[in-house]
Amino acid sequence: MLRLEDYEKIIAKCSHCSYCQSTCPSYLAEQSESSVAKNRLLIIKEMLMHENLPFTPRAQEIVDNCLLCTNCTQTCSSKVPIDDIIIAARIKIGQKGVGGIKQFVMGKMLTQRGLTGALGKAGSLAQKLGIATKEIPQLASKSFDKMYSGTYTPAGTVKKRVAYFVGCGTNFIFPDTGEAVVKVLNHNGIEVIIPKGQVCCGIPALAEGDLEGARSMVETNIKLFTGLDVDAIITDCTSCGMMFKEKAAKCLSDDDPLQEKIAAVTAKIWEVTDYLQNQGLEVPPGRLDITWSYHVPCHRGWSPTVKDAPRQLLGQIPDAELREFDIPEQCCGGAGTYFMEHREVAEKVRALRLQDINNTVSDVILTQCPVCRFYIGFQVMDREVTHPIKILAQAYGL
Amino acid sequence: MQGLVKDLATLLGSTQILSQPEEMLAYANDATHYFKSRIPDAVVLPHTTEEVAKVMKYAFEKEIPVTPRGAGSGLAGGCTPIHGGIVMDLKRLNQIVEIDGSNMTARVEGGVVLKKFQDTVEKRKLFYPPDPQSGCVCTIGGNVATRAGGPRGVKYGTTGNYVTGLEVVLPDGSIITPGGKFVKQSVGYDITHLMTGSEGTLGVITGVNLRLLPLPEADRTVIVVCETLEQAAEIVAEIIARGAVPAMLEFLIKLAITIMNQYFFPPLPTDGEGYLFMFFDGTEAQVEYEAKLVSEICHDMKAKEVRLVEDPRAAAAYWTARANVYPLIQTIFERANSEDITVPRNKLPDLVRAVQEIAAAEEVMIGLAGHAGDGNMHPSILFPQVTPEALEKSEFAIDKLIRTGLDMGGTISGEHGIGIHKSKYLAWELGDIQIELMKRIKQAFDPKGIMNPGKIWMEDGDKHA
Repeated sequence: MLRLEDYEKIIAKCSHCSYCQSTCPSYLAEQSESSVAKNRLLIIKEMLMHENLPFTPRAQEIVDNCLLCTNCTQTCSSKVPIDDIIIAARIKIGQKGVGGIKQFVMGKMLTQRGLTGALGKAGSLAQKLGIATKEIPQLASKSFDKMYSGTYTPAGTVKKRVAYFVGCGTNFIFPDTGEAVVKVLNHNGIEVIIPKGQVCCGIPALAEGDLEGARSMVETNIKLFTGLDVDAIITDCTSCGMMFKEKAAKCLSDDDPLQEKIAAVTAKIWEVTDYLQNQGLEVPPGRLDITWSYHVPCHRGWSPTVKDAPRQLLGQIPDAELREFDIPEQCCGGAGTYFMEHREVAEKVRALRLQDINNTVSDVILTQCPVCRFYIGFQVMDREVTHPIKILAQAYGL
Repeated sequence: MQGLVKDLATLLGSTQILSQPEEMLAYANDATHYFKSRIPDAVVLPHTTEEVAKVMKYAFEKEIPVTPRGAGSGLAGGCTPIHGGIVMDLKRLNQIVEIDGSNMTARVEGGVVLKKFQDTVEKRKLFYPPDPQSGCVCTIGGNVATRAGGPRGVKYGTTGNYVTGLEVVLPDGSIITPGGKFVKQSVGYDITHLMTGSEGTLGVITGVNLRLLPLPEADRTVIVVCETLEQAAEIVAEIIARGAVPAMLEFLIKLAITIMNQYFFPPLPTDGEGYLFMFFDGTEAQVEYEAKLVSEICHDMKAKEVRLVEDPRAAAAYWTARANVYPLIQTIFERANSEDITVPRNKLPDLVRAVQEIAAAEEVMIGLAGHAGDGNMHPSILFPQVTPEALEKSEFAIDKLIRTGLDMGGTISGEHGIGIHKSKYLAWELGDIQIELMKRIKQAFDPKGIMNPGKIWMEDGDKHA
């Protein structure tokens, strides 16, 4: 239930080894100890849980400055779920009513329209409030759900059947990803069902500490995907995947009747390249003379194979060559709506990422996260940043 | 300390000074957070040696304690500001100034992260062996200050063996550059190596000259499962006696393996009590020969299983898991106090037996995970629950462990340093005359006693915390 009080014993597992310094993007950007995961926990413990010290605006800033990228959680050998604790702290801060107008505004936007609510309609308001960056992605002229809905059956034999959860990034900003997902799956004999009425997965709201908002989105989506006769539920976005797999159940109490359905739905969740690689391609892809680099999304911890799936899948395209980044898993700073609210830190994090990107020569940068796609894309002019599934579609001539 | 923050801001600019309570909390201790902590009055974040010197000059005039700090990953409380004052966070001195392949040397600033440096030199087929297990975060300046080492100590020694020169800011703000780029020097007292291991008590290490080696072309990982801890220790002693020189030779107990197994496929069998992780590097022919020789020794001595790991990814998994043993242990225990005793290597079987006897006699759990190849064991007191009674028992057991190690001709610390954690035992090893000499050296460098005060030896009236 993401109640801060429940994490008392778990926080004590932090050995203060400092290894989280090695992957925490805000620490790498700021280089001061209050910006690193272990000390965020210390501040949360002393100021929000034990209340040994008053909870100050600076303390709130320190809690807010976390990108929720989960890199610390993945690095932590003591297995402290740092991201959940930060979310729980933000929920508690919201309940205490100290979140302020920024959190209120962001929370409202996200509840109503998901990620795109904040990016699109509300973007100008956010800018007026001085809380948003000028770098806001263009919304697609026609959203994916206006073009694709219902069942898409492959031409030949139906080998498998999947339902497709369409995240806000694909729906409103990059419908081209969604098109490629449907076509590539169909091409491999997989039927695709796109249920109507899907809403945001809830991760942006949860990141703002808006548990209510996140819970209502989880409920809507879970009811929509429950009971479908499908082999898998596909997402093209690693953050949506993480929300379903790791966070959805935590938005409701343990004894909530919906938990059983959440478990059934999330057991079937796959990121699309991970699914295809796991199933094996039915049709070998054609030749494609391209060099590509892979920016591994931060929200990869929910599947042990998701970070290698594009490498292996696209490795089957004759002539396509992977040019690895020095640190493929380094955060870009986008982090959902973070780049709008924490422009300065986000830009520092991105500047670190760009050093590696600019040192690696390739034709295209691939990533399964729509925010990385546009946030890196704002600063990379010499090549396209896109989803790996699009390259596969291209290799198939789709 | 009135006006301290204002004064420091005038010296360095306000963006490089921290003083808010939330920030100070983050600088109150190192990885021994359960031990002693103390909130500093201010933190400075210098970018250059000159900025360090400015702060030292000011602190010297005002007689304000200064505690230098790297990553804060130390295991001895060395960077805990026990007398308050200024903490100097050196992570922003992070430039690799030079890598000179033709001289096989490098020059780095003190705040360079070890792993970043190692990755950089390895791209140029060069090799910097010292490998404290916190390499992903710890700084080279911190390594020099604590004379840090790791598993590769058995073949390659520790940080001190690679330092050829330093840039040091003394307590009064003057800057000295003992040693240099040359690999040998016979000029008066060896101040370079006096600073190495001085734990921030003599000055601030801002620059380091290091010696490099050629990157070995090949390596092999061998994992050995032993029936008993004694058998594992005897195998180690035999390997050393037979002249094989592994680059790493690690000793682990079953408990450690059960929590590390999540990294391994297939997992290691858990029917042994003692485990050895070995790594050989050098030319292809050399590693082939040594791995074979050691496998034969292990078979001759009736090890349960000898696993030669061919796949480099699998081998890397064993070593990643090894580097994570300390934090991993904390997933099942409320606390683990890691000791650092090091004994002559032929005493290893005796030490292993003694540790088990002490654990039984004092009714405490003692884990063993150490760099057996160089005799550096890390007996750790494991607390299922931290209670006053458990703490008392543990202190008694640690006293006995340390006494036992010293009686075997060993030392109280192989690579962690003394800090505040082991100051109680300093006199046991060094005796009063050596400590008195150290105090006089400290007096010569730091007449006002502002450099990381309260460390290494105990102060009058100190109680072991």
